[in-house]
Amino acid sequence: MKNNIFTVAKKEIMDNVRNKWILAVTILIIALTLLSSFAGSYWKSFEGTVSGMMATVTFFISIIGLMLGYGSIVGEVERGSMSSLITHPITRLEILLGKLIGNGIVLTFSILIGFGIGGIIVGFNVDDVNVLSFIVFIAASILIGLIFLSLSMLFSSLFKRRSMSMGLSIITWIFSLIIYPLIIGSILFATNADQFQEASRQNINSFIIPDWFYAADMANPTSAYSNLVSINVLDIDIYPSFVNNGSLLLILFLWLAIPLIFSYILFRKRDI
Amino acid sequence: MKTYYMPNRYPIQFLGGIFSKMLNDAFAIEVNNLTKIYDKVSVVNDLTINIKKGEIFGFLGPNGAGKTTTIKSILGLIYKDSGTIKINGKDISTDEKKIKEKIGYLPERVAFYDNLTALQNLYFYAEMKNIPKGQCVKLLIDMGLKEHAHKKVGKFSHGMRQRLGMARAMIGNPSLLILDEPTGGLDPHGVKLIREKMKELNKKGATIFVSSHILSEIQAVADQVGIINKGKIVAQNSVNKLSDHLRIKPKLILELEKIPKEIINSLRSMKGIEKMDIKGNTLEIICNPEKRAKVIVAIEKAGINVINIKTKEPDLEEVFMRYTEGQ
Repeated sequence: MKNNIFTVAKKEIMDNVRNKWILAVTILIIALTLLSSFAGSYWKSFEGTVSGMMATVTFFISIIGLMLGYGSIVGEVERGSMSSLITHPITRLEILLGKLIGNGIVLTFSILIGFGIGGIIVGFNVDDVNVLSFIVFIAASILIGLIFLSLSMLFSSLFKRRSMSMGLSIITWIFSLIIYPLIIGSILFATNADQFQEASRQNINSFIIPDWFYAADMANPTSAYSNLVSINVLDIDIYPSFVNNGSLLLILFLWLAIPLIFSYILFRKRDI
Repeated sequence: MKTYYMPNRYPIQFLGGIFSKMLNDAFAIEVNNLTKIYDKVSVVNDLTINIKKGEIFGFLGPNGAGKTTTIKSILGLIYKDSGTIKINGKDISTDEKKIKEKIGYLPERVAFYDNLTALQNLYFYAEMKNIPKGQCVKLLIDMGLKEHAHKKVGKFSHGMRQRLGMARAMIGNPSLLILDEPTGGLDPHGVKLIREKMKELNKKGATIFVSSHILSEIQAVADQVGIINKGKIVAQNSVNKLSDHLRIKPKLILELEKIPKEIINSLRSMKGIEKMDIKGNTLEIICNPEKRAKVIVAIEKAGINVINIKTKEPDLEEVFMRYTEGQ
């Protein structure tokens, strides 16, 4: 029996290439990577450039992932095209995988364009470019984009209305990038007030951060991503031993897989 | 020398084989005791219908009767609370993809990918059914959409979408077509086109399951009819028998200057008049169409002026009323 995953993936790509919002954010990513690669050239520092680009990733690639996914299921259900799709020779699992792959390719493509152009400029201007590190950086960036895609596909399978799925996607984005880091940061400051006061009185920049903070921080996919890039690309070594490639990749993998599994469970039993 | 191979058993086995095959193959759709509950209210309640292969089955019922819910359950779009559904003798969950290859479906609310052109949309569906792209162009021409093949579906009117929906349903010459209100909101030309297509496909051997809330719509195309009301089948019969049984005939409405008793009595004694109601100066008569002229002549002969003549198609409400009256 013919497999229709790629037929759906191809359709998703054709449909989304025409999506003006995705195009707009991709252009924004290109502009911002150009900006950080020019700034990096000014500093002549590979690490500085990647740090600048990383901020772009966590902000905008997560948005692209969410934008591609939040309407993928509920949008077709609301519009009415899902009922026709399902009555064709395809299973619901294949539909879900086709959408994941198609949107994943669109996402990967916009990252590659943005970072490819940025990378060329970095290559021209920065002396100490580590190509392998840059590839690791791009791969990790694609992974974090896919995680947000998978999360928004879960919301898309869960909600009856597109607007609800979009709402939770926005909340997720704010929560992961702002609120959650703010909460654990506040707890850290509150519980270690003496240490920080002492450090600031003596005007020193080093203090002991307890392990729980690293653990809580790495549970957040955006932080797990930036920790991974910091360790492998920026050579930053301030982490306790349990924050390593294995544990970070495991966390990222779980953030990718678990929403997809629940997305399938919800979509499989959904009345269209 | 003759060799003897139990000649008596062979034809019996053979016939038995055909007979069981006929039994298995007799029905395109079998729905038994289907119940679907939404928010604690049963939209479809213990519904049973069987649709024979090769027939045009009209599924008639007012809006909200449970037609679309039944259709969506048959297609596996929604999950039933109880009951069994078989398509071509098989449960749809057993060999989902294979069964779906032979189904064409026109949903009540026809939708496409608005960013893609008509042809790109059809290519997508054809690719899934493993059908060569060439058929898509032919179907667009058939449905009168040739000039719009490269136009984005987002710019299509309702009627054009409906035609494109019919083209999509016909991809791969399906043996079973399920059409949910196929002529809803269409112009007369489009209605005619879709009716012709239904008959054409049926002649080629396709089973057609068509729903509508308009009685004349079903009468125009179907052989068999099932009437659904409030989630239950209230009647299932051939269209002809049902018409006879329900006396589904147009009503002759005559506005007269006066209605004396004599004329009522003489009309009552006329053959072929099935029902007569008097409302003020209006006579409502149900009779065979060929009796209409005789009725009018009889009235004129009695010296009564006919002010106005109208005929009225029976509506669905009336059909339900008559059906329940008859029981």
